[in-house]
Amino acid sequence: MKRGLWDREMVALLLLLAMLPMVFAWLWFGGLDALGRLVFTLVISGIWHLVFMLARAQPPSFAGAITAVGVAMLAPQDLSLLQLILGISFGSVFAELVFGGWGRNVLNPATVTIAFLGFGFPTAAWPDFVAPVGWAALPALAMGVVFGVMSLRLILGAMVAPGVALAFGVPVAAALPVAALVLALLVTDPVASASTRLGGWLNGGLYGALVVLFATGWQGAATAQIAVSAALWASLAAPLLDEAALALWTERRRRRHG
Amino acid sequence: MSARTGLWGILTEPLIRQNPVTLQILGICSALAVTTSVATALTMSGALTAVVVLSAGVISLIRRHIPDSIRLIVQIVIVASLVIVIDQLLQAYLFEISQRLSVFVSLITTNCLVLGRTESYSRHNPPLRAMVDALGNGLGYSLVLTVIGAIRELFGAGSLLGWQVFATVDQGGWYTPLNLMLLAPSAFFLLGGLVWAIRSILPDQAEALDYLRPDDPENAA
Repeated sequence: MKRGLWDREMVALLLLLAMLPMVFAWLWFGGLDALGRLVFTLVISGIWHLVFMLARAQPPSFAGAITAVGVAMLAPQDLSLLQLILGISFGSVFAELVFGGWGRNVLNPATVTIAFLGFGFPTAAWPDFVAPVGWAALPALAMGVVFGVMSLRLILGAMVAPGVALAFGVPVAAALPVAALVLALLVTDPVASASTRLGGWLNGGLYGALVVLFATGWQGAATAQIAVSAALWASLAAPLLDEAALALWTERRRRRHG
Repeated sequence: MSARTGLWGILTEPLIRQNPVTLQILGICSALAVTTSVATALTMSGALTAVVVLSAGVISLIRRHIPDSIRLIVQIVIVASLVIVIDQLLQAYLFEISQRLSVFVSLITTNCLVLGRTESYSRHNPPLRAMVDALGNGLGYSLVLTVIGAIRELFGAGSLLGWQVFATVDQGGWYTPLNLMLLAPSAFFLLGGLVWAIRSILPDQAEALDYLRPDDPENAA
């Protein structure tokens, strides 16, 4: 994608800018521990981008910083540095860099990293967020939509199922702040989410529905685990949803114009 | 592989350069399923190598008498009877491991590697060459299985062949086992990484690109 000002790095920088409210809120409440974690994930992610620049002449991208922010905030706590290095290396190399860099990947590398760490080390505790960090997801989503790097359809679609659940009194409220955080950090990634209009609605709707399903049916799961698993499933399904939207569109065209 | 290759060449070619698993991507179903530990990987490797060598010998012996129209049925019958023998032997002498391998020994019958070798090589070559070729392919398969099995057991349980290499946290040591290694997806990742590594070292194994970048000036011409 290259259209005037809008190259890949511009999108990455705007995404990063949109995430800042959450990052600052999280750093404010997390203190030095959180800052150290963020610096560490930034360094590891940056090293892999450098390695691929030197070995395969792939331009490094600020998207590496987006991955690092997502991993630092959502990955399970009390992992050793070695485990964190293993997880980030796996996620950024196998989910992003082998495909040729950000923009060609199928899944969000941060989602893959966090899911890898979560399933690989099931005893590690998932992070918990204070309420203001969850609220900070709202300005982040709003900024993303205003900048044009996040899909408004996807975000609205994601509110459908939780909204219905709340209206019928299903107890899902506890999972919603983290679900909003994950929505802003992982699900709305313009590369890994659906890119057609209908696909965006469906992708967001699927994410919201999965959050509700997991929150009511998955006993003993942490809220962050629920949201990240829903994000992984939703982004795995995104190409299928796009495909469905395209098939419907061609069918409609065929019927109208023969 | 030309007909002029010596026996040594036929034996060593499938180990890495023509490896059935990493180059031809044959027989990976079992390669993914039985590699949670080195012991099962080695048993499966032995069973498959025995089956592929013996069936190559038998089929090559009667290669001029197999009617072309029913050759697959004949081959499968021969392979299946050998598999049953091997399965019975495993159940008699290695009962525990045969339980852990469950259906995968019987499924050697339909293993693409075995049928691939009998169909493409044993039908056209004399018994000795066919058996050496089958042995090479069996060993190539075993090599991949052993490597993946060793990595999965080492990082998933901290042990090799049941002998504790890293003391795990449960046993008062330092190593936190990576549970993901014992789940099926890790075998996919490891096999993919292995294929990637081999093709980086031997670039002539890499396949041509399906798509070219439209906006790359180098491809425009």
